[in-house]
Amino acid sequence: MAVKVRILGDGEKEVAYREGMRVVDVLRELSLLENEYVVVRRGKVVAEDEELVDGDELVLYPVVSGG
Amino acid sequence: MAKCSICGRPAIYVSRASGLAFCEKHFLEYFSRKVRRTMRKYRMFGPREHIVVAVSGGKDSMSLLHFLHNLSKRVPGWRVTALLIDEGIKGYREYTIKRFFRFVEENNIDYKIVGFREEIGYTLDEIVKMGRERGLPYLPCTYCGVFRRYLLNKAAREMGGTVVATGHNLDDIVQTYLMNIIGNDWAKIVRLGPVSGPSHHPKFVRKVKPFYEVLEKETTIYAIIHGLYDGFEECPYAPLSIRWNIRKMINQLEERSPGAKYSLLRSLETAIDILRKHGIGEEEQLYTCAICGEPSAHPICRACQLKLELGILRLSEERIRSLPEKARRMVEAAIRRGEKR
Repeated sequence: MAVKVRILGDGEKEVAYREGMRVVDVLRELSLLENEYVVVRRGKVVAEDEELVDGDELVLYPVVSGG
Repeated sequence: MAKCSICGRPAIYVSRASGLAFCEKHFLEYFSRKVRRTMRKYRMFGPREHIVVAVSGGKDSMSLLHFLHNLSKRVPGWRVTALLIDEGIKGYREYTIKRFFRFVEENNIDYKIVGFREEIGYTLDEIVKMGRERGLPYLPCTYCGVFRRYLLNKAAREMGGTVVATGHNLDDIVQTYLMNIIGNDWAKIVRLGPVSGPSHHPKFVRKVKPFYEVLEKETTIYAIIHGLYDGFEECPYAPLSIRWNIRKMINQLEERSPGAKYSLLRSLETAIDILRKHGIGEEEQLYTCAICGEPSAHPICRACQLKLELGILRLSEERIRSLPEKARRMVEAAIRRGEKR
């Protein structure tokens, strides 16, 4: 019962899944700011209120530029 | 789940500041409309231009190159080329250069790469080390910013560019605004507008920022959709800059009060208006650097001053004596700063 999260440039993490969980809940559990990441699921950008299903795999793209 | 405010399909982006939501198709339309509106509002480009896009290989400048390259297909008088400055930062720039090469070659875009090592004599890594050994008070971003701006103008002019477009977005601008408020540097704030100038110098190429009103989150989404963001590289020197802390602070503020960034941009525009009314920025007459001949805000440009401080540039007594009074004093002060400690 988990959502897998890969943060570009910062490894992989797992967040325990619960019914009705949304993208924004995952960000909050990881103490990340909404305006600092763009979330991609199955190759598509998703909004922060997108509902998740158990076993979802998310890729987080940092918004902050690297230089 | 949020629905697109235009077509009702699932939204990929919700603007918390405006409450509008967009699906992928309408996000791209929103993005394009917004950038084109900025370009029109500030008269960034004329009907005939050679636009040199300053590209680092990061997502913002790659998005700008992608955007302007595509737009130029519909504007017969435009030519879009790319310029990358390779500062020589190990473990960083070599990755973004690969992405740059892939894109310009796939899209048949003319480009130029200019290196610190070839033009300044040393890589940024070497310069930072030399500065530390001499006890100079500058952060790496100071050397990088000064030499990069110097080379950008020089190389763009040599490429025949009529205007240089940079990928600075709204986030970058408001961060710089706050950094300059903290530094009490109002002369720099007045120059933070979307179009450089009014600088008249035969060797100065106009600079424009088409993403001036676009949030960094929006350029990131644009880059992901177009496959321009496939890896995250971080400049090893970035955490040393005060920008690092300011950025975090503004992002936390935006999270609490959506729209804070737009509000800061409006504040900057008001500040520029007030400063101009007080004559600040009016004296933007450019000098010609008495050493290298490039346009400069001072009798000796910042790049030559730093080179003197670092000991990269040495001038004979005779040459120093032959300089005009103000320029000579600046040279002597720079040499003293380099010798101190």
